[in-house]
Amino acid sequence: MAAAGGGGGGGGRATTSGCGLKRRYAPHDQEEETMNQDQSSKEDWCGRLWNGMDLLKDVTENKHVLPTGLEGIDTLLGGGLRQGQLTEVTGPSSSGKTQVCLHSASHAAVKHMGVVMYLDTSNSFSPSRIATIIDGTNDLSDQRGFDLPHKERLKTMMRSIVCKSVFDIFGMFEVLHQLEVSLLNDKVKSGGRKICLLIVDSISSLLAPIIGGKYPQGTTLKPPSPPHRLYPGISRGRSMMISVAMILKKLAYKHNLSVLVTNHMVSAGNGAVKPALGESWKAVPHVRLVISREHGSNICTATVLKHTLLASGRTAKFVVPS
Amino acid sequence: MGEQSGAQNAWDMLSDEQSQKHITTGSGDLNDILGGGIHCKEVTEIGGVPGVGKTQLGIQLAINVQIPVEYGGLGGKAVYIDTEGSFMVERVYQIAEGCIRDILEHFPHSHEKSSSGQKQLQPEHFLADIYYFRICSYTEQIAVINYLEKFLGEHKDVRIVVIDNVTFHFRQDFEDLALRTRVLSGLSLKLMKIAKTYNLAVVLLNQVTTKFTEGSFQLTLALGDSWSHSCTNRLILYWNGNERYAHLDKSPSLPVASAPYAVTGKGIRDAVSSHHKRARVT
Repeated sequence: MAAAGGGGGGGGRATTSGCGLKRRYAPHDQEEETMNQDQSSKEDWCGRLWNGMDLLKDVTENKHVLPTGLEGIDTLLGGGLRQGQLTEVTGPSSSGKTQVCLHSASHAAVKHMGVVMYLDTSNSFSPSRIATIIDGTNDLSDQRGFDLPHKERLKTMMRSIVCKSVFDIFGMFEVLHQLEVSLLNDKVKSGGRKICLLIVDSISSLLAPIIGGKYPQGTTLKPPSPPHRLYPGISRGRSMMISVAMILKKLAYKHNLSVLVTNHMVSAGNGAVKPALGESWKAVPHVRLVISREHGSNICTATVLKHTLLASGRTAKFVVPS
Repeated sequence: MGEQSGAQNAWDMLSDEQSQKHITTGSGDLNDILGGGIHCKEVTEIGGVPGVGKTQLGIQLAINVQIPVEYGGLGGKAVYIDTEGSFMVERVYQIAEGCIRDILEHFPHSHEKSSSGQKQLQPEHFLADIYYFRICSYTEQIAVINYLEKFLGEHKDVRIVVIDNVTFHFRQDFEDLALRTRVLSGLSLKLMKIAKTYNLAVVLLNQVTTKFTEGSFQLTLALGDSWSHSCTNRLILYWNGNERYAHLDKSPSLPVASAPYAVTGKGIRDAVSSHHKRARVT
């Protein structure tokens, strides 16, 4: 006989019917039983448990790399942009960051690896440049020898690159949310090509208006003299940065995407420069590359700042073809 | 993959881009390194030492954007935001006259056509189609850029916004450099959005300053590293001996290149040493 649910007084004995309310009144020795019953709902909550062999199998079978098409960079990256990971390219103005993004997008399109989503914050996405890069790869021939005319092949490839302009951080959250929803929906439907690469050029432009304050992290914050104007800027901006970072990494992990973001440089005192977005950002990307270009030349240098698998500090030169 | 609102695929963007007209600078050599002229939907920064011709180029673009469509131009209007008072109306009149003379030279029968409803080729009409804002402080500068969105919604024929110059009011008044960076990054994003949304060119004129890098003083554009990424294209004007040169320093689709140009009575034109025989208007 079931005890009255929610009734008053004394810890009565109640049968476990799977109802959480009754569980509160169940004595100790029945707890284990209830915990086993709820196992499946707990699993949905915190995700599958993987063992080491599962992970290794997943990495070798599912986690591919997307080459950028720029040889020096691909060598440094150990093949290319790894699926499931967030790669950052940082560097001073006009060092080639956008070119790396455009090359990565073009290369993924040429190899038919899937849809590329390009989020552009400075109107730098150039379709004519994409067409030039694709034309430059001599890979326009279909393996099976279908006699598609050049223009048709170019059209198919370029149609797999989707570009959207984003001009503020809230717009970015909106876009990522829409992307998440559509990816979850596509799990149910079949057909249609799946996104394989997400590019954000550049994430730092969207965050620059809201992060940074006079007082570095860790020092005592003295009240700023126009009161509370700087306070919101410090913690809110940094929390937005971490939010967007977490969303990007979650998208990468859950949907097996490669995510590529660009960052710019800020001054570090004494004429030196350092990557923007500060200390909290440093831990976010899986791989960080810093690139630079010699004035008046096509030759750029890339250095690994951080990599999950390979040693950092390695450098390579790459050429941006004209 | 679900459709994102406002997203376009690269193929469609390519067709749009190919039908896009560029704003001629008046100099064929300069147009060549810019891929035909100043691009709409992009923010172009033009920097240089005082006296090299930034304002001249700004005014020339505000005139050239108005060249009617039948003569190869955009037939648009201009917004000119003046922060220092460099906009000399007499000079603008002179440049408008020079532009009209070149159009008539190129299209000899045009003055015979009855241009009903089309722009009359008179300098007064060219001046009338420049919307001029004079601002005197950084707060006014922020306000006018915020106001632009509403203004451009009401004046859909504007095809260029020139800001001359964007750094002036941010160099003296700001003690809090971090705040300055935040404000300027916000402004830059707004300008990017305006360029894209209203399909116009945004041209930002910028001063140079000296910077101590790698053991020597070098000329660099004002407002520091954080501003340097806030434009789509960057053109640096400099002196090479007695000649003026322009160097395309940043572009997503064009290689870095330099070209000479001249500032004449009629406005910006090819340098005397140029291989372009005639001053091209289109």
